[in-house]
Amino acid sequence: MTNVLETIEAQIAGVKASPAKQNVGTVREIGDGVAKIEGLTDAMLNEMLDFGNNVTGLALNLEETEVGAIILGDYTSVKEGQEVRTTGKLLQVPVGKGLLGRVVNSLGQPIDGKGPIASETSYPVEKIAPGIIKRKSVSQPVQTGIMSIDAMIPIGRGQRELIIGDRSTGKTTICIDTIINQARLNKDAETKGDKGYRPLYSIYVAVGQKQSNVANTIRVLEENGAMPYTIVVVAAASDSATNQYLAPFAGCAMGEWFMDNAMDALIIFDDLSKHAVAYRQVSLILKRPSGREAYPGDVFYLHSRLLERAARLGEKYGNGSLTALPIIETQLGDVSAYIPTNVISITDGQIYLETDLFYQGVRPAISVGLSVSRVGSAAQIKAMKQVAGRIKGDLAQFRELAAFAQFGSDLDAATQAKIERGKRIVEIFKQQQYNPIPVELQAAVLWAAQNGYFDDVPADRVKDAQAKMGDYLTSRKADLMGRIAKEKALNDALTSELKAAVSEFKATYK
Amino acid sequence: MKIPKQAKRKAKALFREVLVDGVLDENRLLRAVQLIVQEKPRGYLAILSYLRHIAKLDQERRTARIESAIPLEPPAEASLKDKLARRYGRGLHISFHVNPALLGGLRIRVGSDVYDGTVSGRLKQLEENLSQ
Repeated sequence: MTNVLETIEAQIAGVKASPAKQNVGTVREIGDGVAKIEGLTDAMLNEMLDFGNNVTGLALNLEETEVGAIILGDYTSVKEGQEVRTTGKLLQVPVGKGLLGRVVNSLGQPIDGKGPIASETSYPVEKIAPGIIKRKSVSQPVQTGIMSIDAMIPIGRGQRELIIGDRSTGKTTICIDTIINQARLNKDAETKGDKGYRPLYSIYVAVGQKQSNVANTIRVLEENGAMPYTIVVVAAASDSATNQYLAPFAGCAMGEWFMDNAMDALIIFDDLSKHAVAYRQVSLILKRPSGREAYPGDVFYLHSRLLERAARLGEKYGNGSLTALPIIETQLGDVSAYIPTNVISITDGQIYLETDLFYQGVRPAISVGLSVSRVGSAAQIKAMKQVAGRIKGDLAQFRELAAFAQFGSDLDAATQAKIERGKRIVEIFKQQQYNPIPVELQAAVLWAAQNGYFDDVPADRVKDAQAKMGDYLTSRKADLMGRIAKEKALNDALTSELKAAVSEFKATYK
Repeated sequence: MKIPKQAKRKAKALFREVLVDGVLDENRLLRAVQLIVQEKPRGYLAILSYLRHIAKLDQERRTARIESAIPLEPPAEASLKDKLARRYGRGLHISFHVNPALLGGLRIRVGSDVYDGTVSGRLKQLEENLSQ
């Protein structure tokens, strides 16, 4: 024993506290959240810099004799001539389940006043997306609870679906609905003890929005019981452009943790137009050359590297997924502007919302013709495929015929029937906000519509009939609904039972 | 003052010309500056100010500033000089300074590299670690 102690003592005596080599520079210029620093010859790209007093920066420009860095947090305390040190670390944010139910800023610090966040792991904010070996094609659905989306523009886990439209057309509402529906499904599976259901956690990233809007969104999520499954990352309009630039990447890192740990997550970027504007501001202050609409040349790469990180991993790599729903705000419906075309070409489809439809009362105001989901149909459940397979085509045909029917009054019976059916489907797809519909009920209602059970109901009463049918099916035929949800397909037995149930309802409906 | 790209290029070329075996020759630099002042080529003020900037950076890179709480013994100074010359090559100007505020140990700065083995530096680090 003494021998061991002596050896340890000798080892301790032999250790010399060698001074660590540091790399320092001095601030030459500071303003607008961006500092130019002389020296720092060993600085790496995207390395965190220590300005002292708990102020950190991020090296974004490495030039011949100086380094351009953005400052995270309060830059007013940084003075010219101040010493700056490299840290050898990349910018990291805390990740993990401890963040669920919390509101954080783009550095992962809590801003909801609920105390510190319990998290041991951190992820770098910038990370290379999973490669082709690790990936698998999309095959599991994300149920948004919005009938028109689940039926016609289905979204799969690991997909990137853009939500695009003018201001106040209900872009955020679609995303909030989706989050609420995930919370509902997660809670259902928890109470039933369903081990087969993979819970989907949500991350909502608010970029450049008014604080009042963000507060409102959080209130809605809390009222609907969705906060326990949601992380909210906020870089509001009053935050610096640097924080707005980082927020989506920070949120993405939090989502990647779920994906890497064999879980599923959904991330919403609200919205990437403001993100591009914040990045343009940072780039212009850093004196990077500007291109079209004064955006820097790498604005495409900015969004492509962010959205590439949404993926579905193969079974060997945990089978996790990260689904991304980026939002883009257009100006006067112009989808051919710079940032919208960029993001359209990056994503796996888009949901296009139209102002005209919104004011006609078609809410959600989804334009069926311009919306598409390139990979989601592989993830749709079979029951939905069976009833909704032809609906998109039917609706497109209806729009064409409806425009045509305005000129002539004499129409043959078949055309008349198509128009009447189309009117009813449009009515059925109208849906209140924050009121997601379970997929089995969606399938049942669509089945009824496809089989003509709504044809004798006047178009203005379809919504009422649908609501009552929904109540009837969920309260009186809960067992049937449960079986459709479980089997995920409408076989002959289920179809005949559904037929009986709907006929029974129709007999009582007046 | 905004320095045009052309002036920067010219200043850099000029600076390369006054190097002898990769080390700045002060006499050649002074002569070059005098020539520019006499000839007054286009944008010469910008060229001169950028030349000054490069020369300053070069000088910083080739200067080792050694600070200690108490004056160092001559053998220690010699060994430090030897070690620094081995690491940073020849042409290194080494200056010794006494700074009692360091409390103990050495702080060596060469260009933007800093080796901080002072007591005050370690105390500061401890303070930062504790405050986090």
